Amino acid sequence: MTLFFSQLINGLHVGIIYALIALGYTMVYGIVKLINFAHGDIIMVGAYTAVITLVSLNVPPVVALLLTILVCVIFGVTIERVAYKPLRSSPRISSLITAIGVSMLLQNTALLVFGAASRPFPTIFSIPPLRFAGIQISFVTALTIVVSLVLMLLLQTFIKTSKAGKAMRAASEDYNTAQLMGINVNNTITLTFAIGCALAGIGAFLYVMAYPAVSPTMGSLPGLKAFIAAVLGGIGIIPGAMLGGVVMGIAESLTKAYISTQLSDAVVYGILIVVLLVKPTGLLGKQTREKV
Amino acid sequence: MNKKTKAILLNFLALISLFLLVTILMASGMLSNYLSNILVTVLITIIMTASLNVTTGLLGQLALGHAGFMAIGGYVSAIFTKNVAMDIGLSLPIALLLGGLAAALFGMLIGIPALRLQGDYLAIITLGFGEIIRVIIENLQITGGAAGLTRIARMSRVFSPDRTVSNIVQFAIVFWITVLVIASIFTLGRSRHGRAIISIRENAIAAEATGIPTTRYKLLAFTIAAFFAGLAGGLFAHQNGILVAKEFGFNKSIEYLVMVVLGGMGSITGSIIASFVLVALPEMLRALSEYRLIIYSLLLIIMMLFRPAGLLGTQEFSLLSFWEGMERFFHTVFRGKGEKTRMPFQPRYDVWNDKPVLETSKLGIAFGGLKAADNINIHLMNDEIVGLIGPNGAGKTTFFNLLTGVYLPTEGQVTLLGKPIMGKQTHEINQEGISRTFQNIRLFKSMSALDNIKVAFHSRMKYSPISGILRNSRCLSEERGIDIRARELLRVFSMEHEADTIAGSLPYGQQRKLEICRALASNPKVLLLDEPAAGMNPSETVELMNTIKLIRDQFAVAILLIEHDMKLVMGICERIYVLNYGKIIAQGTPAEIRNNPEVIAAYLGQEQVRPLEEARHA
Repeated sequence: MTLFFSQLINGLHVGIIYALIALGYTMVYGIVKLINFAHGDIIMVGAYTAVITLVSLNVPPVVALLLTILVCVIFGVTIERVAYKPLRSSPRISSLITAIGVSMLLQNTALLVFGAASRPFPTIFSIPPLRFAGIQISFVTALTIVVSLVLMLLLQTFIKTSKAGKAMRAASEDYNTAQLMGINVNNTITLTFAIGCALAGIGAFLYVMAYPAVSPTMGSLPGLKAFIAAVLGGIGIIPGAMLGGVVMGIAESLTKAYISTQLSDAVVYGILIVVLLVKPTGLLGKQTREKV
Repeated sequence: MNKKTKAILLNFLALISLFLLVTILMASGMLSNYLSNILVTVLITIIMTASLNVTTGLLGQLALGHAGFMAIGGYVSAIFTKNVAMDIGLSLPIALLLGGLAAALFGMLIGIPALRLQGDYLAIITLGFGEIIRVIIENLQITGGAAGLTRIARMSRVFSPDRTVSNIVQFAIVFWITVLVIASIFTLGRSRHGRAIISIRENAIAAEATGIPTTRYKLLAFTIAAFFAGLAGGLFAHQNGILVAKEFGFNKSIEYLVMVVLGGMGSITGSIIASFVLVALPEMLRALSEYRLIIYSLLLIIMMLFRPAGLLGTQEFSLLSFWEGMERFFHTVFRGKGEKTRMPFQPRYDVWNDKPVLETSKLGIAFGGLKAADNINIHLMNDEIVGLIGPNGAGKTTFFNLLTGVYLPTEGQVTLLGKPIMGKQTHEINQEGISRTFQNIRLFKSMSALDNIKVAFHSRMKYSPISGILRNSRCLSEERGIDIRARELLRVFSMEHEADTIAGSLPYGQQRKLEICRALASNPKVLLLDEPAAGMNPSETVELMNTIKLIRDQFAVAILLIEHDMKLVMGICERIYVLNYGKIIAQGTPAEIRNNPEVIAAYLGQEQVRPLEEARHA
C-alpha cells in the first residue's frame, strides 16, 4: 500500500508538470487550432536558460526562474509572430508543418551551440523529505505540486475574471466574431503564447529539478506527452489539460511500478486510444455535431 | 493517334529511358553503390509519401502513424524471408505481398474504431496506434526486441555475387514497384472510388447524402494507404538488412507527412518531387554536416511561409494524362476502336400512382426534453410538388434530417415506395430514392461541376476498386456511360458549358442549381429541397420556379421543398404543410393555407388577423 501511495505521489509529480506544459498546448489550440509542436522545445530552451543562469552566471534560484520564464516568453512570442502569424489564413496543416520546422530548428540549433551531451542540473534544495503516515514525499515533489496547483488556480481566475481572459475565451469561441466585437485578436493570441510559454518555463524548471539532465532533445518526450495529455482531457479545455496531465502521469508511474517500464508508453497511448474511442473529444470535451 | 496519346507514349518512353539510363550508369560504375542506394531510398520514400497522400491528400484526414504500417510490412516480410527456405527470387515477392497485406489488415483493424473520430482527434489516435505498434514490436521475441531484427537478406547482395549486378536488380525491383504503386494511386484516384474518397474530403455530409458510404470509403483509403506502406516497409527491410523498431516512431511518420505537405497535399507528383528533394537534400548538405539540419529546418519554415499550399498544391504533372492516353492507345491498337459504352443503370419505372411515394407516420424526435419534431404525418404523391413552411426554428430542416437518416427518429416510421426506411443510414436512404439539397450549399467545392455530378452516380456503377486500378473494360465502359449521363444532366440545366468549372468558383445561383442537379443524379423518387431560393433575387427566384417545374415534369419525381419565399411556395406548390414548434399545424392548398388563421398567427403573432398575402405586401 505504501508503494502504491508513493507511486501515486510520483505520478502526481510528473503528471502535474505535464499538465503545466499541456496548458500551453491547449490554450494555443483553443484559439488558433494549431498543434504547436515547438512547445516541447520551449521546455528545452527553459532548461538551458535555467542551467546557464544557475551554474555559469551563478544567480540565485529565484532570479534564474524569472530569467527562465522571460527567455521562454521571448522565444514563444517571437516564434508566434515570425512563423505562425503569417500563416493564420493558410490551411491548418501548413502551420502544423511550420511548427515542426520550428521544433527542428530549436533542437538543432541547441545541438550546435551546446553539443549533444546532456548537462547535469544542480541540486537547488537540500531539504530532507517530508513524511506523511509512512509515505515519503521529497521536497521537490511537494514544491512542484503546490506551485503547479497555485499556478493553475491563478490561470483559471485570470481567464474567468480578467478582461484579457474574457478576450481569450471569446477568441477561442469564435475568432472572427471576437474580432468584430473590437477584440484585438492578434494581441490576444500573443498573450496566449506568452502565458503558455511562461507556464512551460516554470514547467521546465520543475522538470529538470526532477530529472536533472539538460539536452537538446529533452523537450520532445515531455512535449509529446503533455500534448497527449491535452488531447486526453479534451483539447482546448483548460481544466481538461490539467486532468489529462495528472491522469497521464499517474498511469505512467503505476505502469512502471506494477507492469513494466518498457510498456509504460504503450499503456499511456492505450489509455489515450480507449478514452478517445469512448469519448471522441476527450475526457471533458463536449460532443459537437456539425449542423446540417 | 491524338495529341494526348502521343504525350502519354512520350511519358512512358521517358520512364523506360530513365530506367535504362540509371541502369547503364550503375553498370558502368559511374553511379556508385552509395548513390544507387540513396536512389533506392528515394524510391521507397516515394511509395511512403504517395500512399500517405491517399489518406492525407485525397481523403483529407491527418494521419500521424504512417511509419507504423511501414514497420509492420517490414517485419512481416523480413521474418518471412528469414524463416522460409526458399530461393530469394521466389520468397521476396511473397514476402513483400505478405508485408503489404499484414499492414493493410492492421490498417483496417485500426481504422474501424479510429475513423469514427474526426480531424485532430483522428490524427492523435493514429499517432497513438503508430507508437503502440512500435512499442509492441520492441517487446516481442520474434521481432528481435529493442535490438532489432538483423541479417535480413539484402537485395543489393543476394541476387548475384557481383555487387553491381545485384544493385541493378535491386534498383529494377524497387523502381518498377514504385511505378506500379504510383500508377495504381493515379488510376484509383480517377475511378468512382477515388471520386468517392475525394468527395469525403470536400464535404463528408454531402458525400453521405449523395449516396457515398463514407465510413466504408474512409476505411478503404486507409487500408490502401497501409498496404502500400507495408510494401515499402518490406522493400526497406530488404534494402537495409536490419530493422530497428525505434526508427519507425513518431518522428518517421512526421518526416513523411512533411514531405507530403511540402509537395502539396493531394498532389502525387508533388509527393514524388518532395521525396526526391528531401531525401537527396540532406545528403547533398552532408559537407556542411553540423549545419545541415538547421538549414533543412529553416528551408522548411521558409517554404511553408511562402508556399503554404506546398510545391504543387493539388496540381498533377502530365502523368495523369499519360495513363489515360496509355490505355486509350492500347485499346485502339489491340481491341479495335469500337469500344461499347455501357449505361450501367436504368431510370426508375416503378408505377406508383395511387399510393403515396413517401409517407411518414407519427414521426418524431426529442433532443433531451425538446420535441423538435412531434407526431408528423405527411404524404407525397407521385409527381407532386409540396411545400413545407413554418417560422424559423419550427423544425423544418430537422424533419428533412429525419427523412434522410441524418437523425434517427425517436418515434414513428418513414415509408418510401411502400418500404419502411427508418433506421437506415443516410447513403442507403439516398440509394433507396430520397435525395436532398442543403440550406447552406454543400458542394464538393474543389471538384469540377461534372465530377460533382459523377459522385452522385457512384452507387449506380458497379465496378470494383481493383477494376478501377486496372481500368479494365468494365470500368471504362461504365465511366463512359456516366460521363454521357452527367453531361446530359448538366445540359438539362443549361450548365453543360460549366462542366469543367471548379464548383466553388461558380456563381451563387449556379451553385444552387448544380446542387439540385447533383441530387437528381442519384435518380431519386423524392427530392427534398431545403430553401432553394435562399439568397436569390426575384428574377433568379422566377427562374428557379421554372426549373423546379421542369424537374418534376422531366424526372418524374415528387418534390418536397422548404422555403420562406411565399411567392415561390404559393406559386408552384400543389399542397402545403405548415410546421410550427415541431408539429404540423395546417395543411392544404395554397389558397387554404393563405387564409388559415392558425398559420397567420404562427407567422405574424396572435393579434394579427390580416391574411398572409396582404401582410406581405404591406
